[in-house]
Formats: sequence, C-alpha cells, structure tokens
Amino acid sequence: MNGHDGTNFEKILVCCGTCCLANNSMDIDSGLKERIQQAGLPLEVEPMVKATGCSGLCENGPIVRFLPDDLCYYKVKPGDVDEVFEKTVLNKQEIDRLMHREPEQRNRVRTREENSFYKKQFRIALRNTGEIDPFSIQDYMERGGYSAAKKALKMTPEEILTEIEGSGLRGRGGAGFPTGRKWRQCAGIGRYPKYTICNGDEGDPGAFMDRCILEGDPHSIIEGMLIGSLAIGANSGYLYIRNEYGLAVRTMEEAICQAREKGFLGKNIFGSGYEFHLQIVKGGGAFVCGESTALMASIEGNTGEPRAKYIRSVERGLWGQPTLLNNVETWANIPEIINRGGSWFSSIGTEKSKGTKVFSLVGKVKNNGLVEVPMGITLRELIFEIGGGIIGGRRFKAVQTGGPSGGCIPQELLDMKVDFDSLEAADSMMGSGGMIVMDERTCMVDTARYYINFLSEESCGKCVPCREGLRRMLEVLDGITEGKGSEEDLELLIWLGSMMKEAALCGLGKSAPNPVLSTIKYFRQEYLSHIRDQRCPAGICKKLTTFRILEEKCTGCGLCKKNCGVGAISGKPRLSHVIDEELCTRCGNCIDVCRFQAVEIG
Amino acid sequence: MKVIIDGLTCEAESGEYLLQIAKRNHINIPTLCHEEALAGLATCRICIVEVMDARQKAEERAFGQLNDDCGEKDDRKRKIVTACVYPVVAEIEVLTNSEKLRDMRKAVLTLLMARAPQSDAIGMLAKEYGVEQNHRWSSREDEKCILCGLCVAACDKMGTGAIATVNRGTTRTVSTPFEEPAESCIGCCSCASVCPSGAIPFTDLHGKRTIWNKEFELVSCSWCGEVIGTKEQLEYVGKRNGPSADVHGGEMLCEHCRAVREASRLKWVSQPGRTFA
Repeated sequence: MNGHDGTNFEKILVCCGTCCLANNSMDIDSGLKERIQQAGLPLEVEPMVKATGCSGLCENGPIVRFLPDDLCYYKVKPGDVDEVFEKTVLNKQEIDRLMHREPEQRNRVRTREENSFYKKQFRIALRNTGEIDPFSIQDYMERGGYSAAKKALKMTPEEILTEIEGSGLRGRGGAGFPTGRKWRQCAGIGRYPKYTICNGDEGDPGAFMDRCILEGDPHSIIEGMLIGSLAIGANSGYLYIRNEYGLAVRTMEEAICQAREKGFLGKNIFGSGYEFHLQIVKGGGAFVCGESTALMASIEGNTGEPRAKYIRSVERGLWGQPTLLNNVETWANIPEIINRGGSWFSSIGTEKSKGTKVFSLVGKVKNNGLVEVPMGITLRELIFEIGGGIIGGRRFKAVQTGGPSGGCIPQELLDMKVDFDSLEAADSMMGSGGMIVMDERTCMVDTARYYINFLSEESCGKCVPCREGLRRMLEVLDGITEGKGSEEDLELLIWLGSMMKEAALCGLGKSAPNPVLSTIKYFRQEYLSHIRDQRCPAGICKKLTTFRILEEKCTGCGLCKKNCGVGAISGKPRLSHVIDEELCTRCGNCIDVCRFQAVEIG
Repeated sequence: MKVIIDGLTCEAESGEYLLQIAKRNHINIPTLCHEEALAGLATCRICIVEVMDARQKAEERAFGQLNDDCGEKDDRKRKIVTACVYPVVAEIEVLTNSEKLRDMRKAVLTLLMARAPQSDAIGMLAKEYGVEQNHRWSSREDEKCILCGLCVAACDKMGTGAIATVNRGTTRTVSTPFEEPAESCIGCCSCASVCPSGAIPFTDLHGKRTIWNKEFELVSCSWCGEVIGTKEQLEYVGKRNGPSADVHGGEMLCEHCRAVREASRLKWVSQPGRTFA
C-alpha cells in the first residue's frame, strides 16, 4: 500500500487527552508543528496540526489522524515524529507498523471507519471530542457550536421544554430521571433566583467519560447549561469539577473566559439582554459529593453530606432555591437536541432509554477506552466487537456496570440489551457508565470486598445503615476471603443488604450493597467454594490459594521461574518445574505467564 | 388534610413532619436522634415508616450522580421514609409497625448494638426488638456513642460550634478541633444533655466542671447554692443577650430563686400606702 496517492492532508489531529499526554503526545504535537514550519513550503497546503481531546481508543494512544483522508496512526512515540513527517507528511506514504491491525486479520486498516472499535459507535455527546482543539472556541463554532444557544434564545421556555421532553433524554449521571420532566418541574416554580449546576464530580473507579467531555469539548457543556438556564429562568450556574481533574479544570476555565469574550456568557448574551454567569467550583475529592444534595452542600461551603430528598432540589436546592442539576454528559447532549430536534434524538435507542450512552470500557478487555453507542446495544457487542474480547484469550467471567455500587453481570446475561431498565432488572445499574470487564482470574468475593472497602471509606458516615452496614459487610467479606466464613454469613449479608437498600439516607447507601447482593445472586457457588472448600477458584485470595505445576503439561521453558519474584520456582531447563509452597507469595505471575496452562490453582 | 397512620385518621397541616403528627395522636414511633428543639437529622433511621401515596411514582426516584432509588415500578408500592423529616404534603397512608419495618429496625439495631454495646438506649430498644449481640464482630467495649450527631447540632445551635464530626465513612468520630481543648467551648453541657446514650462524659467536682478535656469554673446560685452553669457560659449568654438581669447587686440566682425574688418584689410593690422616693 506504499505510495498511496492521497490528497494533501489539511489537518493533522494529535490526541492530547490525559492518557495520551501521559505518553508524551504533546511532544508529538510540537514536534510535527516544528518540522512543518522548518520545512518551508514544499507542500501545496500546509497542514494544520491540532492537539485535540480524547479520541476514545486510549489503549492504543497516542493517536495521530490525518484529515480529510482519515489515515490513523496508533501508539505513536515522539521518536516516530521524524519518520511520520518524512514519509507521511512529505511523501504521502503510509507507515505500516503504526496502523491498526484488526484482531484475526492480517492486513492493516487505514481509517477510523474500518476499525471495529469505532464501527458500531454513534457519537452525540462525544461529537467533538478528538475532532477539535478544546482550547479554541473558533473550532467549536466551526462545527456548529453555539448555534443551538442562538436558536434557544429565540424560543420560548415552553418550546425548549417541549423539545427536551420530546427527546426522551434521561439523566446520564446514573439514576436516569427524565431530564425534560425535571426541567419542567424547576421551570414551574416561581421563586427566584434559580441556579443550574453541572455535576462533574466523577468518582467511580475506572470511569472517565465526564472527564473526556470536560477536557475535549468544554463549550458543549457551557452551551447546554445556557439553554437549560433559559428554559427555567436561571441567571447563574456552577460547574462542580473534581480537583483531581486538573486538565479538565484548566480547559473549562479557558472555555469560560473565551465564551465571555465572545459575549456568550455575561450580562448581555448575543445582545438579547439575557444574563448568565458561570463559575467553577472544585470538589475536594469526596466520592459522596457526586450525590446531588451533598454536592450542593459542598458548593455552599458546608460538609459534603447528603440530606433527605423528600423535598427535591428543583424546589429547594442550592441555598434553598430552585436548582437544576444535571451531569456533564446530559448537558453535552442538550445542544444537539435543540439543533436537530427532540424527535430525532428519540428515534435513537430503545423504547424507554433514548439516545446514546458513553461507556468507559476498562478491565480485562483488549480495547480499553471510551465508546459511545446507541442504547439497546448488547453487552456482547460492547465487549467482544467493540472491546475486541478478553485479553490473552481468557474466558469472560463478569462485567461490572455502574461504578462501585453497581452489580456484576454474569456470562449468561451477555445478550442483554444495555439500557436503564434492563440493567436495573439484572440487579445492577447504568450508573454513570463505567464498565469493568473481568475474566476468569477475577475472584468475585474479592471484587465485592474491594468495592465495599472503597464505599466504606467513601461513605459520608452520616446514617447508620451505610456507615455501620458497610463496616460489618467488610468484616464478613474479609472473613470469607480468609477462609473464616460460614454459610450463615451469606444470609447475614443479604439481610443487611436488603435493609440498606431501603433504609439508607442517600443514593450512595441505597446502592452500596449492590456489588455484594449481585455477586451472591450470580456467583453463589464461588462464595461457597471459599466457605466450604476453603478454596478460591480464581486464585486471588492468597490465604485460600496454592499453585501447582502439572508435570505432564510443563515443558520446562523456565518462563515462570524467570517471572517469580521470590525464587519459589525451581527446575532444570526442559524438565518439569516445581513451586515451593513455603516461599510462594501467591502473586499469580507464574499462572499468568505460562503458555501451556501448566500451572494449576490448588 | 388527612393522614391515616396505622388505620387511625389524623388531621395534619401541609408540610408538617410525620413524626409530629404521630406524636400528637399518641402513636409511638421509636427515635434515637430526634430532639424537639433541633431540626431533624435522619441519621439513626430507627423512625422509618412505610408510606403509600400517589407521589411515589417513578418520578419520586431522586436524581443526581447517584441512583437514589433502585427500581420503583409499582405505584402502590410502599416506600420507606424517616418520619422525623418526611413532610406531609398529600393525603397518605402510613404504617409504623409492620413486619417489614420491625425486621429492618432489627437490622439497624443489630448494627448499633455492635457499635455501642454500652449504650443503655440501644440496649432497651434491642430488647424490645429481640436483637442479640453478634459476638463475631469487633467493637470497642466501652463505646457508647452511636454517632447520631445530636451533640454537634446542639453545639451549632448554641452558636459555639466547638465540636464537629471528623473524618468520613467508617472512621467517623465526634471531636473538638485536633482533639485539643476547644477555644470556643463554654462548658454548657448542651451536647451531653441531648446525647441519647450518655456518651459524652463530664464531671462537676469542687466547683469545677471538666468536659472535652477543658476545665471550667462553676457558678452557683447565691441563695440556694444550685449550680447555674460555668462562668464562660454566663459570659457568653450575657454577650448574646445583653447585660444579664440576673446579676442583681452581685447576686447570681438560679431560675427558681429568681422567680421567688420576682414574686416577692411584686408583692412588695403592690402593698398599699407605700410611696416611692
């Protein structure tokens, strides 16, 4: 395929999302810019090099794209810059080794469309991430940015509400409350001032969809909030962003400054006389501050603890005033709905879950990254087609959806459609869209223990069911993983969990037992192995695990010996090796590296 | 409007809390973290009741980053709420002592019992609900505090804010700043007097009070010798309410003796024939 006679590249996009930045993508960006400048003008069209937000396939970053030809390079290193410039930019040649190779296929693919990771995706919330320079309002406007806000200024609040209601959009933060209904409730209350809030306190382990929108397309959130404020009659809004998201905060600050300069924020928006101010509040790192009432308490300067929600935030939220709070992804969808109409949006997705959802696909799946798919796609498609299946060809075991308080979904439910209601029916939840894929080397008891431990540290500690319940659940689970469990423990966990589900004060506490209840429901056998047989089938719980090398399978290659950190494996080359149980620390390196399945979990 | 509690029809104002209505109608709902003078905290979850009304359709599912309600599809499904902070705004039916509630309270009490084995308040309720101590769980033998938060609320209400909850999650405690004697503490003992399980120790000995590692001078009534409060407390009250009328010719009187003095003064004034210079 060398010597491909492509057109001149007008744009070169270098992904500068957080993951790619960590792999020096900034050097690639500046290196290319430098080379092109130095080269003078042997080119007909000088390509523009842009640093963009995350383009999704984080596993293979940094990603460099050439437009309009859409040639994609993956895992580009700063050392490749010279070659990319010489071969591709100057001579239009493709560099084979940097192109994507489909699993199961020999040949390399050129474009993003041909890459199966992107094939089934449909981008609404992520429409601009990875396509524009987030620090440039010009880029956003070239792609139709702020046209929805202009349109909304000419509409009545009623018309905006009808459009949002008609779209069937449901809150993307987790609970899936119909956005249009929430807006209407807030608009119907005649007390002023009112506030709009964007919840960007994404705290789930392994979830990064909000971060990528904040970093890659900040203006879509500003525009969405502006439209929401028009609909309910609010003049000021708050962006609550985790302090750990340094780049997101920086990007958002810059975006607000640029929007002010352009007159899209401030006293007289587009000359309409409408006033709207936005400011950023940084979250202090408490997971519970993602819960809306705790978030508001935090903005007010109080301890971030939830309150009972018998009076809703749309009536009495921030400082006791009517408040409209939506999650980052919800806000990012709004401009598209206003531009293209609610009926267009509701034509995507399933009957009760409209539109698309961004998932962060992480764990033991080949293509780690960010995907946006229409609601109703099956888990199988998500994990095996888009995600490329399980790393190392291991067996799929479960997928954990909805963050730390979501549930684990087993293999038999892989063909389930992913939407709010079916996930709930499977004892899990949509949550904010984290998806953690687990393989056979994952112990479900240990997984439940991990999440309960996380939640017991992150619970605010205000109410008894959550604070004390999680503490005791953790004690019981610790006992089971150490071989001190009894069968009554399972009944106790279920009893405590079902009480917590209803009696806890806020959403964190009410959903906290999910990891335990769902793993007991779908993986009871594994719990029983720990309790009755004192054995951890996955070989994770150290006290219940021994590793043995099967003589008939071991080829004596010595790979396990080389990878053993404590020198517990001995054996001569080409003869069967032996593990010394006394020295073995149960780290599992040997079983993970063995290519002959010769290591057995005892 | 009407509220039906355990089959009894009660009258209620819109916005009134369920617990108030129940109390007024002599329906007993157990509470631990409730105090009339302070706003409802809803931390102990003992006063949970089942509510059924038209408001609890799916839209009642709270919203935000976290899922506040796991699947409420049945309009007639009973919802668990805490009576102390649940405002009644529509006609509803309430159950305060169903099988399900008793079982849930039992679970909550089991947890509280494991936390604070020494608390009498928990002990009494535990007996009522047939809770047994789970001996496999670790707990601090001398622990009485159930972290209901009443003490902190009372201290805030006083305007002193000398104590607060510290840390979050399972390591939460109540303490003064850095566990040192708090500058703003006035030794008024509001915290100890609202504590449902007597978990805040203090001593009144030889004219001195010790609480939260701080020592205060006690002031006694000039007439009967009853302890009125600490010097800091009376100064603080004086600062907030203007010069105190209690200090009368160098006399400090307790509430009772003050009333006696006022009564005798009035009697003295209303005697006929007396003139004032």
